[in-house]
This record gives sequence, C-alpha cells and structure tokens, in this order.
Amino acid sequence: MIAYTVRRLLQMVPLLLAASFAIFALLALQPGDPLDEVRMQNPRITAEELQALRRAYGLDDPIHVRYAKWLTRVLQGDLGYSRTYGVAAAEYIFEQRLPKTLLLSGISLLVALLVAIPVGVFSAVRQYTPADYIVTFLAFVGLSIPNFFLGILLLYLFSVRLPEAIPGFPQFPTGGVPPLLFEEVRQGIVSLWEYLRLWAWHLVLPVIVLSTGSMAEWTRFMRASLLEVLSQDYIRTARAKGLAERVVLYKHALRNALIPIVTLVGLAIPGVMSGAVLTETVFSYPGMGRAIFDALVEKDYNVAMAALAFLALMVALFNLVTDLLYAVVDPRIRYS
Amino acid sequence: MRKVGKLAVLGLTALGLALAGPQDNSLVIGASQEPRVLAGDFLSVISNQSIKAEIEQYLYPPFITIDLDGKNVAVLATEVPTVQNGRVRFTDIGGGKRRLEIDLTIRPDARWSDGRPLTTEDVQFYFEVGKAKGMPVLNPDYWQRVNLRVRDARNFTVIFEPAYATDLIGSPIGYAPKHIMGAAWEQVKRQTAALDPARDAQRLNEIYRNFFTQFSTPAYLNQRKMAYSGPFVVQRWVPGSTLELVRNSNFPIEPPGGASRYVQRVTYRFIQNTASLQVAFMGGSLDAISRVGLTFDQARAREFVNRVGRNFDIWFVPGAIWEHIDINQFPNVPQVRDLGLNDKRTRQALLHAINREGFVRTFFQGLQPVSHTWIAPTNPLHNPNVRKYEYNLDRARALLAEMGWRPGPDGILQRTVDGRTVRFEIEWVTTAGNVVRERFQQFVAEDFRKIGIAVRINNAPSAVVFADDFIQRASEGRWTGMFMFAWVSGLAEQGNLFACEFRPTRENNYVGQNVGGWCNPEYDRLREQANLEFDQARRKQLFDRMQEIWAEELPALPLYFRADPLVVRKGLVNYVSAAYSGGNNYPNWWPWAIGWESRGAQKLFDQAKYALPVR
Repeated sequence: MIAYTVRRLLQMVPLLLAASFAIFALLALQPGDPLDEVRMQNPRITAEELQALRRAYGLDDPIHVRYAKWLTRVLQGDLGYSRTYGVAAAEYIFEQRLPKTLLLSGISLLVALLVAIPVGVFSAVRQYTPADYIVTFLAFVGLSIPNFFLGILLLYLFSVRLPEAIPGFPQFPTGGVPPLLFEEVRQGIVSLWEYLRLWAWHLVLPVIVLSTGSMAEWTRFMRASLLEVLSQDYIRTARAKGLAERVVLYKHALRNALIPIVTLVGLAIPGVMSGAVLTETVFSYPGMGRAIFDALVEKDYNVAMAALAFLALMVALFNLVTDLLYAVVDPRIRYS
Repeated sequence: MRKVGKLAVLGLTALGLALAGPQDNSLVIGASQEPRVLAGDFLSVISNQSIKAEIEQYLYPPFITIDLDGKNVAVLATEVPTVQNGRVRFTDIGGGKRRLEIDLTIRPDARWSDGRPLTTEDVQFYFEVGKAKGMPVLNPDYWQRVNLRVRDARNFTVIFEPAYATDLIGSPIGYAPKHIMGAAWEQVKRQTAALDPARDAQRLNEIYRNFFTQFSTPAYLNQRKMAYSGPFVVQRWVPGSTLELVRNSNFPIEPPGGASRYVQRVTYRFIQNTASLQVAFMGGSLDAISRVGLTFDQARAREFVNRVGRNFDIWFVPGAIWEHIDINQFPNVPQVRDLGLNDKRTRQALLHAINREGFVRTFFQGLQPVSHTWIAPTNPLHNPNVRKYEYNLDRARALLAEMGWRPGPDGILQRTVDGRTVRFEIEWVTTAGNVVRERFQQFVAEDFRKIGIAVRINNAPSAVVFADDFIQRASEGRWTGMFMFAWVSGLAEQGNLFACEFRPTRENNYVGQNVGGWCNPEYDRLREQANLEFDQARRKQLFDRMQEIWAEELPALPLYFRADPLVVRKGLVNYVSAAYSGGNNYPNWWPWAIGWESRGAQKLFDQAKYALPVR
C-alpha cells in the first residue's frame, strides 16, 4: 500500500504541472489584460507609459516564459502578490478566504451527510410507502431548486416577510458575516461566546442553501445503495439465520451500502474548498468561490492561479485519499 | 413560547451590531462593491474604485470640494482661491499657453486624528511621492504639469504649466500623513535610488505598491495606527462584509448645533449581489445606499418602491453618465465606405430612426433624459440650443435616398459602390447581459427594419468588448458599425472624447477615447482654445460652438443621460447628492453634517432641488 501511495504521488507531479500550465494558458488567453482599465480611464497615457506598465506587470513576455517564471517562484514558496488587494496571494487565499469557506461548506457538508444518511435509510426501509414518496418528492425538489433562487427566497422570507408578519419572529441577518474581528475576542472586547453565537446566526441560512443540493442527492444515493444491498443473498442468509432486523440492517447492510457514499463524499471535499460562487454572492459571504470569480473578472492572475492550482492539487489528493479509503472500508480491495 | 422569546432576543442581539437608524445615532449604508484598499493608497495606485473615493470622503476631505451646484467650496483650506481674492494668478508663457499659480492656506485648526497639526509638510509629502520617478500614477498628465511651492507651515502655492481651465475645478492638490508614512517613504527612496524607470520598472512598481499597501489593507487599518483628517476614522474593517467608521473628535468643522447631534458611527455593508441588497433594504437593516449600489431598474421596481417607499425616500439623481452609440468612421474600413458611415447624412438618418423619446418614456418613466450632445445638462458647459433629431422615419428615408440607397428585393436598402452592389446591413455591438442595452437594440432594430436597414447584433461580455484589442481597434475593422456603451464624465470637461489626437490607431499604440475616429479641424481648434481659456463666459462660448458642430456632424449618436438611484431613510438629513457633488455624485460630500432630524441634526440641503422622486 505504501508503494502504491508513493507511485500515485509521483504520478501527480506531471498531472499537476499539466493542469497548472493549462490554467495559466487559459488565463493568459482571456481577452484583455490588467491594463485595460488604465487605458480606458486615461486617454492621455502615452505608448511609453503603457509599455513601462506592461513591463512593470511582467506582461510583455510570451506565455511559456511567464509560466516558467511563475513556476520558479511557486517552487520557492512565493505565490505572488494580489494586484487587486495589495496583499500576498497566499495570505489572501489561505488566511482570509479559505477558512471562511471551510467553515461554511464544511458545516454544510456535515449537515447534508447527517440528514442524508438517516433519511436515505428511512426511505429505503420503507420503500414504496407514502413516507418514501414524500422523501423522494422532497429530494427531487431539493435537487431541482437553484441555489441562488433558494437563497434569495430564504432571505426574503426570514429577513423580511416573516419578521414583518409575525411579531417576535427572529429576523435573520440579510447575509454577510458578523461585523466583528477575532482580534477583538483576543483583546477581550467581545466574548468568545458572543462571537461564536453571532457566527452561528449568520451561517444558518447559507448552510441551509448550500446543503440542500447534496442532501437531496445523497439521500437518493443512500436509498438506492441500501436497497441494492438489501436484495443481496447474504442479507437473506442473515435474516434466515434469525438475526434481528436491526442487526441485519445496521450491521450487515448499512456498512456495505456506505462504501459508495465514501467515494461521493471524498470527491465532494475539493468542492468544499472551492466554495460556492452563487451562494456566497447571494449571502455576500467572503469565501473562495467569490474570491476566484472576482480574481478572474479583475484579471488578478496571481490570486486566480494560486487558488486554481491549489484546487487542482486538492482534487488530485482527495482522489488518492478516496482510493485509499476504499481499502479501509472494503476489505476485498487490496493495492499493491 | 420561551423558546421563541429566546430566539427573538438572540435575533435582536445579532442585529444589534448592525442595527440601522436613529436609535443609536448611527448610519448603515449598503454598497454593492467593497474597496480593495483604503487610506494609505493616497495616489490611487493600487485601486481607483469609486467606492474607495466615496468612503475616503469621510476620512480625508479635500482642501476644496465641489458642492451640489458644481461650485468650489473650501473644506480644509481657509477659502476658495479666485482671481478676485488674488489667490489665482496667470502668466503667459508663449504659444498661447499660460502658467497658473494657485495660493492655498490650510485651516489653522486642521489636525490629524492623532492630534498632530496638518501642515504643508503633508502636502509636500504627497507631492514628492507623486513626482517620484516611475510612479505608476493614473493621471501622468497632471503630474507632468504640476509644481509646488511651500511658503510656510500653512501657506503654499500650486503651479500648473501649461495650465488648463479645468485645473481650477476642485482641489488642485492632495495631502498625506507624513508623520505616519514618511519614514517608510525614506526607506523606499533609499531602495529605489539606484533604479532606472526604463530598465527596472517592475522592481520600482513592486516597491511602490508595497509602500502604499502596507498602510491601506484591512489588517493594517484594524490596528488603528493610521491617521485621518476627516470627520470619521476607521474603527474596524471585516473584509468581505463590513466597514465601521466612528466620529473623529479632532475634526475641526462643527456642524450647526454641535457634532453630537449628528451621526456618530457609519457602517458600510458590502453586498455584492444587488438582489440581496434590495432584500437588505426591505428587511430594514440599511439606512441609505452608497453611490455604488442598486441599478436604475432595481430601485424603480414596483415591489421595491412599494415596500421600501414607506420608510425611505427614493430619488433619481441626474448624472453625467452618457449612453451613446459610437460609429466607426475610419474610411480605410470597407464597411464604413460601403455604408457611408463617414458621411454625416448616414449618421443623421440613423439618429432620426431612433425613437429616443419613446424609449425613455416607456422604460424609464422619463427619469433619464434624452441627450442631444455629449455634455450633460448638469454641466454648466451644456448647450441646449443645438440641432435636435426628432424621431422621423420619413426624414431618415429621405437622407438615405440622398446617399443613393434604394430598397432591394428583400426590402433591405442597397446601392452601388465601386461597381458592387452593397446591402445596408450594419453591425451593432454592445455589452452582452446588460438588459437595458439589449432591450434598446430590439426596440430600435424594429424601426431600422422599417426603413430598410438590417442590423447584425454582435454582443459580447464587457470584458471582451472593452478589451484593448476590440474597442480601440475600429481602425482595423475589429468592430465595423455601431458600438453602444456609456462614458462617465466629470465637471472637468475637455472635449477629449472627440479630439483628432485621441483617435486610437496603430500610430499612437491604440490610445485615446475617440474610438469611432471622427476628426474635425474646427472642433479641434476650438477645443484647444477652450482648454486654455480661463474666462468662464468665453470658455462657455467656445464649448457652445463645439457642441453645435458636434450636433450637426454627429460623431456619435447621443441617446440619454443615466440617473443614479439614491435611497435614504426618512429623517436622515444632508445625505444629498447631485451630479458633481464631491467630484462625482457622492452623497457624503459634506459628511460631518449627516444626521438624523430626530437627534437634532439640522437640514442644510434639499435633495428635491437636485433629483426626481419616485413614489
């Protein structure tokens, strides 16, 4: 297994190089460059000044030279500087944005799992009963409803309509994150409890929106997976042995039915880190999704490159982790 | 029940921090854009976003600002320099050009928020940084012409050579906190001493950007070490979410009745998604809107007006954003010759076929006026007595017939050019996804078809059409017909949009805003004259004539001027904007007087004089 892991890790190197070059080339092929804005705003700017700026931004080299320069810097641990925000790209992405995204998407993932597995089991065990139909119906609603629409709908209901209509109904924040800095907790200006409580309060609606889709999908998946396992011979054998239905279900069936879920969740984790552009935008939540989107629009190449290359790395890594986890959860799989 | 109560308490506490309104004499503003940096980036080298300039109105008021009527008013200077008070002097320097000297005196009580006096050292510092070699400033032309002479701690002279008439609009120079940033600048000077702007541009740029950045990021400003000179200082900036400003007790200007009767805390909430911004207004968690907020359509949406209109005033402030259609007139482009786009009659015919009045009435309730020249009616240079092109399809047909166009078999006009038969099919480019512009295209294409003009719509995202290799390349036929977009103009109008020298071509490396390529020697001569003319009345006469020529020739098709929505909670006073307030339609150009009537704030300005209300 160690040899396998090492081999896979080595295979990742050319893969990541290719992926990062592809991303770099795509960014460079985007129409326009960071100087468009300067040109539009200042018609008096001369060709020499433009050339100086172009040189200053390192835009006058061909793509492969720029890529080589970028790669050299990255290998030395320097992801460059965000032209837009004036901070190191690494600080902007890994300190400012990634933790917030991990918080929002991580909680959403957990919530989705914690709901999807029991509901999926419930639905499978009661196949073709009214309860199953209701769950199925809700799952399809959850799958079909677009996030941006659900987001605006929840904001409108919980921040505007319901608090207006029902006196005493708690008004949820209209997006954003708490107007507090963690620094203030450290300095004792705000209590940690208050800080956490405000965070939780701001996360309620976005978590609901973000978890809805995967919750619905995984419920369906769990149901199908369990139903398939329940029709297997060894389950019939277990029942014939006279085992209690609870033991059959949870000990024999569920553990096997969870194996495919591991794949799904493993592949969903890089998605957690990439954030969710639409949900983050609707709730004005400063996460990775918006960071990447803004960086692309504003042609902030260092940030876009750092974030996208990081995501490529995560996808590759979690693919490996998922494969390794198979061996852990499924004793029939052995890597050599 | 207890649970519900607890939740309600939790909800109220949660909102407490961002709670809007007069209860705690604070103000919460919704903006759809967040500044990238603030304060330390005083030359806007890192960012020149409009939201940054807006917020800095609270933090660093200028020596001279522009009021609601477009007039200069003194803020941190003792008085507005004029020829009459001897503070403005001209000297002829030959070639019809002049040198301009402007004397300014800093208010004796002007102080930084840490209590240090604001002096000419801070002006000198600003000047020195702007003049540094290879500084990537956005307005190199200003920095080439400007000079500074310091007389004592409070008196200085700003010199322009050659001077333009627009140099007298607003503050001629800025300032920056030398006692905070000076030491770092000395280090920058040492680092850059041996660098050559031609060879080491990248290194220079990097050093300069680092210098500005270290004093302008949220992390730095949250340490509260920065000095401000305005009525407010930065208290806390949560990136991606909110920015909180609190009153600066060292600010010298007292609003009537004392500062305690006015807003003590200003919170900006950054809500990028404008639909979410609408919801935040409906939910009552905002008091007013930033200049960078809702779109025209959103602020006018019936559901929004009905719900928000109860507690808020919704205004439309006529602005200086000019929607127009540029027309390719480079005669080397085959389509231009075929369609005769470089002949004014074609352009006149196109404008006669556009029902601008009808569009504005139907879609904007008349809140955005039809334009007849490129200068906004809010600008004193505007000439209302120019040739106007009413909607008249017969007139359009007649002009086209004059040009030799006859209806072809498919109903589309055709004529013979160099022995070839050409059809009147014109390309029309605009920014894809801009609903108003796309709607306009459909609205007009219908009428064009009636007079035998086929339209080929070629829209693309703004990043594509505004990229240098598209909009600036009409001379190479990258776009061949009409290009619809908007220009934002200020009070400092120089007529450059239609100057021959600003036609982007290969020769000048595609620089300039005269993207259609119109060139008229008389207009150009008047323009040069006007920019060196300091007598307001004579300057106006020159601009009047320029606009007459323009309206006769139609280098571009004028459509309408946009209006900016302003949403303000009832009872909030002096949060008032006009087209040029604070330089660019800022509602907080007089920020120390923003307040709630119920807390004793006195109303000084009346928005009704400068905007149209929506009910």
